[in-house]
Amino acid sequence: MLSFLYARQSGLDDPVRLRRAESTRRVLSLELNHNRDVDRIHGNGINTLDTEVIDGRYMLSGGSDGVIVIYDLENNSKKPQYTCKAICTVGRSSRHVHKFSVETVQWYPHDTGMFVSSSFDKTMKVWDTETLKVVSELLCYSSHSALLCSVLAVGTKDPKVQLCDLKSGSRIHILQGHRGEILSVRWSPRYDHILATASTDSRVRIWDVRRASGSLFTLDQHNGDKSKASSEAVNTAHNGRVNGLCFTADGLHLLSTGTDDRMRLWNSGTGENTLVNYGKVVNESRKGLKFTVSRGCSPEFVFVPCGSSVAVYGLHSGELITMLRGHYNNVDCCEFHPDYQELYSGGKDCNILAWVPVLRQPGIEDDETNSKRGGTQAAINPAFEDAWSSDED
Amino acid sequence: MSRKRALIADTFCLTKRRRCAADSVTADGAADIRSSLQYLMTLFSRKLFNDSLPPVVLKHQLYSLHNDKTSVDKQVNELRENGDLLMFQLGFDSEAFALVFAEDYRTKVLQGEAGRETLGTVEKFLAKLIPGCSDLSFNKEKMLKEFLFTDPAITQLVKSGVLTVRDAGSWWLSIPNSGKFIKYFIKGRKAVLGMVKKSKYGEILKTELEGHHTTSQVKFQMKYHIHEIMGAELVESIQTTSGTLLRYVDGNVN
Repeated sequence: MLSFLYARQSGLDDPVRLRRAESTRRVLSLELNHNRDVDRIHGNGINTLDTEVIDGRYMLSGGSDGVIVIYDLENNSKKPQYTCKAICTVGRSSRHVHKFSVETVQWYPHDTGMFVSSSFDKTMKVWDTETLKVVSELLCYSSHSALLCSVLAVGTKDPKVQLCDLKSGSRIHILQGHRGEILSVRWSPRYDHILATASTDSRVRIWDVRRASGSLFTLDQHNGDKSKASSEAVNTAHNGRVNGLCFTADGLHLLSTGTDDRMRLWNSGTGENTLVNYGKVVNESRKGLKFTVSRGCSPEFVFVPCGSSVAVYGLHSGELITMLRGHYNNVDCCEFHPDYQELYSGGKDCNILAWVPVLRQPGIEDDETNSKRGGTQAAINPAFEDAWSSDED
Repeated sequence: MSRKRALIADTFCLTKRRRCAADSVTADGAADIRSSLQYLMTLFSRKLFNDSLPPVVLKHQLYSLHNDKTSVDKQVNELRENGDLLMFQLGFDSEAFALVFAEDYRTKVLQGEAGRETLGTVEKFLAKLIPGCSDLSFNKEKMLKEFLFTDPAITQLVKSGVLTVRDAGSWWLSIPNSGKFIKYFIKGRKAVLGMVKKSKYGEILKTELEGHHTTSQVKFQMKYHIHEIMGAELVESIQTTSGTLLRYVDGNVN
């Protein structure tokens, strides 16, 4: 570690290198911390989590009871023990609450003024964060959606993808091509017009929304080697339902998970299966699975909910790094916070658990000076101390 | 001080790596796979089939011997492209692939065909197959145009067991007389999994399982089956101070 700092200081190394090495070290030491808690508001399982992109401060969660909660993740108290408070809730008593389970919530990508939620009650609601009222509502038989700028892509049960414009509140066009219910929709972070959809017909399709005709290509797990598959399974991404999609942060690769207990990594430009073998990634979910990829680390990591724990895999090597155990029931969603390298996961046990990197333990000399200072003052994180305020005030 | 051994990223282990002797990774790796394959082939019981089958190894048995599955896959594909190894789809599981060394396959097939009238066509097929082609299945146009076989020749190949029907107009490459192998394999796998499940707490030490007396259902060697269930992740393998522990994983179909 010291060698990295010295290399950066003397200009031998790029500044990014130190940042990446430290982020990787922090991700590898993720653990459940008794100091960090998230308020427990949901009475039923948590289906989806989303952190806003601008500050990384506010987190949305949607639950199986239709309740949507917004949490403040930032630690302003100077104590290490911190509970992420729920700032506001769209509870069952609200007039606009969803009737059934909320499947996807997503912040508007440019500010926290509004967010979108989609649910099993066949509606998609656009909410104003200040007043927590519904601004516009769309009727569609869907439960999975993704938001980019002002275009919302909704995957529906009758197998088509509906694109809706939020500015006008109307539907723009329909992408046809799948033959089964669509379980996951994702926009590419690299190009604004590329969309990936996964469905129960075992196929993953990549679309260019500017084109009027069908999909760009379908992902094929055998890379066109038709001899490997049985004849029905030709040209499929998985040997079962595909229920999770995630782009890597640079948009160059796409991960998909399926009920055949496999996870595959694809090159998002050519649609080629990179054949990284993650082994058996247990997947029994009947609805969409939300998993996430780390950002800013040197070997990137994939965090996949597997039963009641979260499995961490190396993205390109395919090896299982560790399993994060802590939930009491199935984990449904997880969300990575890139600035603090923290992972939040929510599941059927109504808990959102925060996995925080274990800090380096303070040395023995620090402990002694702390006790000398007196027991009245709680141990203050030295990062919050300043050189000019006085204790006597 | 934390008792748990923390995971350390590779970047922080620079000094350790510099001290180790630099060896050419690829050459070592490929040799490793070949030697693991040979070791697994010795576990295959030949006498059971009266020497009519070449030694067959399943691809996921290699995963139980090597940690990095992706590199195992890559090396197996390299060996297949060189023409040293042949891969077959066994049919009972879309992910289970059987591996046979090409020379073994050729000798056994020709041995089985000796004296039959299909010998000529089979020889021609093997000559086309072994150096060049690494496909698992063939469809009609390929057989007719590339390999220049006629319809009755294809029927002869199916009769001899080298091809099995996959679909109307396409065939899987297969090992002749492998039906018995698959039957014993599935039965044996079920029996071994049952042994793990029935043991106390659903877990058993690997060495203990190897020493278990084999029931009449298990025709192969226990080690062969154990490598297979470990590689296919039908049991969870946990490292303990007394060795590897195999724990039964719920939700298995088999």
